[in-house]
Amino acid sequence: MTDKQSILSELENGIKGLQQEAVIEAAKKALAAGVSPVEAIEHGLSKGIRDVGEKFARKEMFVVELIYAATIMEEAIKVLEPALKASKEKRTSSGTVVLGTVSGDIHDIGKNLVRIMLEAGGFEVHDIGKDVPTERFVGKVKDVHAALVGASSLMTTTVQVQKELVDSLRASGIKAPMMVGGAAVTEEWAKEIGANYASDANNAVVIANQLLGKR
Amino acid sequence: MAESMKIGTLGMKRLKVMEPKDADDVHARSLQLLEKMGIKVSSDEGRRLLKEAGADVDDNTKIVKIPGRLVEEMMAKCPHRIKMGARNKKNEFVLDGKHCYTCTDGVGVATIDLDSGERRPSTLKDVADSAKIVDYLPMMHMYNSLVTPLEVPKHAHTVYEFMASLENCEKHFTAGSTYRREEAIHMIKMAAAVAGGMKKLKRRPIISTLTCTTSPMDLGQTTDAAIEFSRAGCPPHLMAMPLIGATAPMTVAGAVVLGNAQIIALATVLQLAAPGSPLCYSTEPMAMDVQSGLFEGLFPAADMVRAAHVQMAKYYRIPIFVGGWGTCSKAPDVQAGYEKAFSAFICYLSGADMTSGPGLLENWTVLSFEQLLIDHEMFTMMADMLQGFKVNDDTVPMDVIMEVGHEGHYMGKKHTLDHFRQMWQPMVTDGQTYKTWKDMGGKNAVDHARDKAKEILKTHQPEPLAADLKKEIQQIVAEAESNIPH
Repeated sequence: MTDKQSILSELENGIKGLQQEAVIEAAKKALAAGVSPVEAIEHGLSKGIRDVGEKFARKEMFVVELIYAATIMEEAIKVLEPALKASKEKRTSSGTVVLGTVSGDIHDIGKNLVRIMLEAGGFEVHDIGKDVPTERFVGKVKDVHAALVGASSLMTTTVQVQKELVDSLRASGIKAPMMVGGAAVTEEWAKEIGANYASDANNAVVIANQLLGKR
Repeated sequence: MAESMKIGTLGMKRLKVMEPKDADDVHARSLQLLEKMGIKVSSDEGRRLLKEAGADVDDNTKIVKIPGRLVEEMMAKCPHRIKMGARNKKNEFVLDGKHCYTCTDGVGVATIDLDSGERRPSTLKDVADSAKIVDYLPMMHMYNSLVTPLEVPKHAHTVYEFMASLENCEKHFTAGSTYRREEAIHMIKMAAAVAGGMKKLKRRPIISTLTCTTSPMDLGQTTDAAIEFSRAGCPPHLMAMPLIGATAPMTVAGAVVLGNAQIIALATVLQLAAPGSPLCYSTEPMAMDVQSGLFEGLFPAADMVRAAHVQMAKYYRIPIFVGGWGTCSKAPDVQAGYEKAFSAFICYLSGADMTSGPGLLENWTVLSFEQLLIDHEMFTMMADMLQGFKVNDDTVPMDVIMEVGHEGHYMGKKHTLDHFRQMWQPMVTDGQTYKTWKDMGGKNAVDHARDKAKEILKTHQPEPLAADLKKEIQQIVAEAESNIPH
């Protein structure tokens, strides 16, 4: 048990300390020691990334560090992935979210930040990328039975597409709440199109939890 | 706790506002004025030193005609690098032409109260509070009493200012207005008490002084005090304050020559008094509003004189301390922002080692704590640009660029992680999204600066002076109060 504990804390501390090599080593060690991949993620990596996310929110860490920590976590999950697929365990989730940048907009750094923070907050995030056509958004939401849809726009020319997206979702009978954000979006606009506004990545987690009835 | 002091680097190619031949011409014309018309030297000791060195002295008119070769000989004795000591050794630095620093200016007579926002007469507490804030701010390098305490005996205000600074700020102190020899003697005594004696003070001068000459062509009343500082090895900053159109000709070049002549004449006196002693070229020109006749520090012409004087200091290869950051604004507002930014930046772009003026409004007469924080912020932005940048394998990561490819980003890259801490960071500038800004009270930079000033005053505690040293300094202040003539 102490061996497992020490591997889990190596994963957690490696993320906190932004040490890519140490985290990858620890992920390999976890597999070799028979630690369940779900446990390695939830009690190791996720604890680390949540801590980094909280420090980021308190302005004790920088956005560059947050993204770097997320990159390390992704690499570590790649190591754990085969074992994760083989096992029957499922990761616990605060809710399923489909996230993307709307059609016509290729600016995705803000959206990526939102993904990192939502994942750190325990959400299962399906990131469908940037410049995503409305019909693909709707299709993905149906496929994964998303509880929440997140769409971002940086350019003023693409905010209108958010409205099309809400309308299409509702026309398809999808009731999942919609969260919008991005530099071109205002709270007033969100209200007007029947969506919820998130002002930044931290705020997105707060709004997501509110919309899904948690906290 | 405050961050430790950070020093700016002058890594950029220097701006020159004059052609090299114009700088030669400014020097030649300055010598011509000093030889032909001479300069008024009120100091008896100053005239004696000049006379002994071969100058043509008239003790009735106090006009001294100084041979050009004497001036050049004395200018060559001025050190190129100057060490600036500080109460706390970690705050010491060197004026070497390769770094940039900033200092507050003095000496104002009113303060915009941090709590009430009212403009009121300045007090000793304002000196202490502003010194404490300067102690905290990482890119404020030295303190000149921003205001004068109006409640202390007027004839001894400088020693009170120095005492309040010593008690609240562990950085270098420069005296803003030391006019009389007796003031200088007592301030040097206080400094020596802190440094551990006169010898140690000379190695590590924790005090310097501004020495104002009077335009046109008068060394003014401060020469005796400056001589004392020079002999103690504490650098005087030899300041010209030509008032374009009033006490100097109505042209930039005219004011440049007049100011330069005064500065090199004073340097000649001080190098005769204490050969090889450290000193700074210094300038604080002003311009006249030609419509009203009011004089103001803010006009572009005055800032051009500053930049030209920076170039002249480089010509003589001596450090320069520029009085800048002028504004006539009555509040920390947009006008204060643009006047101060232009004034300071052109001086630094020209290669100024040091500028002073953060925190003051209304032509250096009114203290605003908010403005002090904002000016510090502006300096940190300028310093970030002034350091310049290098082009090499580390700064242009070819492999990372190729790895990221055509649509990726650099935010998760090790190279980004390794370099992001060099990025400028705001202290009081607002950079929030509209919603966050609105939710947090819709505060602008002035509001943030006020909050930050209050926070610093509440939480920052400089190392107190040792009890016996504090007592010794109080005794010197009491002694000064009875010895300095009223």
